Amino acid sequence: MSPFSRRAFAAGALASLLTACGGHGTTGHRTTGPGTADTAGHDPTARRPRTTAGPVPADSARPLARSVPVRLLIPVIGVDTPVIRLGLAADGTVQVPPVTDHDRAGWYRHSPTPGETGPSVLLGHVTVGPYGDGVFRHLARLHRGDRIEARLENGTTAQFAVTAVRTVPKTDFPADDVYGNVGRPELRLITCGGTRTGDGYADNVIVFAALSGANLPTPGER
Amino acid sequence: MRRTVLSALALAGTAVLLGTGPAFADGATTPSPVPSAASPSTQPKESTEPTRTPEPTRAPGKGEPTRAPSQGEPTRAPAGGQVSVRPSGAPDTGVTASQDSGTGGTAIGAGAAAVLALGGGTVFVVRRRRATGA
Repeated sequence: MSPFSRRAFAAGALASLLTACGGHGTTGHRTTGPGTADTAGHDPTARRPRTTAGPVPADSARPLARSVPVRLLIPVIGVDTPVIRLGLAADGTVQVPPVTDHDRAGWYRHSPTPGETGPSVLLGHVTVGPYGDGVFRHLARLHRGDRIEARLENGTTAQFAVTAVRTVPKTDFPADDVYGNVGRPELRLITCGGTRTGDGYADNVIVFAALSGANLPTPGER
Repeated sequence: MRRTVLSALALAGTAVLLGTGPAFADGATTPSPVPSAASPSTQPKESTEPTRTPEPTRAPGKGEPTRAPSQGEPTRAPAGGQVSVRPSGAPDTGVTASQDSGTGGTAIGAGAAAVLALGGGTVFVVRRRRATGA
């Protein structure tokens, strides 16, 4: 082969390589979801049965007055999201936030508000299909003692400390642990995790937290 | 000679175009944000919060399921439930993207490589034939 031919081949090979890389790049950008979902599916922190449980904090704070949550903050995993209200779906399951680009968390309105005595239930997506990561994408990374804040409509900020993180099969969802009565203000954060099954996940990741304090609004703040 | 080089370059250009075509097609099918009208419709519009008084039973006309369908476990008395209506099943809080969307780049690369290999082989054969004077 002449040098010209070799150069031509080299140019062609380079173009082919660039094409392959470009294709990957484009697809990868558009489908952040599956890539990260796959990661979630093999997340070593999400293996079952797994519970990073421990003794619950002994010094639970006093219950707060009822006020619906408007914002949720989990600094350690970078969550700062508005909170919408959720009810029941037609099939009797709990509603989940809509699958949109700007994913948000939702509070189950038949549960206590954060800070009231009882399990206040908030839900969020781990991934939102073509839009990529959900607001609770890294929920399984939480550990006991991590701080969670729920800002309430009345200006109060309820502060919670994580007491346990559990990854459970959806077929064995611990409804009693999640929705059952408790003797103090607690929080339940729920998302999906584990291996992928079709267009969803096999497991739920549930974070249990207990009220640890509150910042009450100053008189001029409300 | 020059024709050979030019044909090889044209081949490379074709490979690039083959790759970029589907890429643009990908972009065009990128889902647009969900219509704003659809999102609120999925959320309850109640302006008032349910009272905290225990509700022994629910009105059948509301479309809400019976409570406490938990899996074979004895449940607490519904009348004293802090969660006034217990959902059934597990929350579906994760939607994955379609499986086939990640294979586009691989297919493009493989196609371009195949086209290049075919073109390269043709050029090689033509040059050999010319060199041997056939």
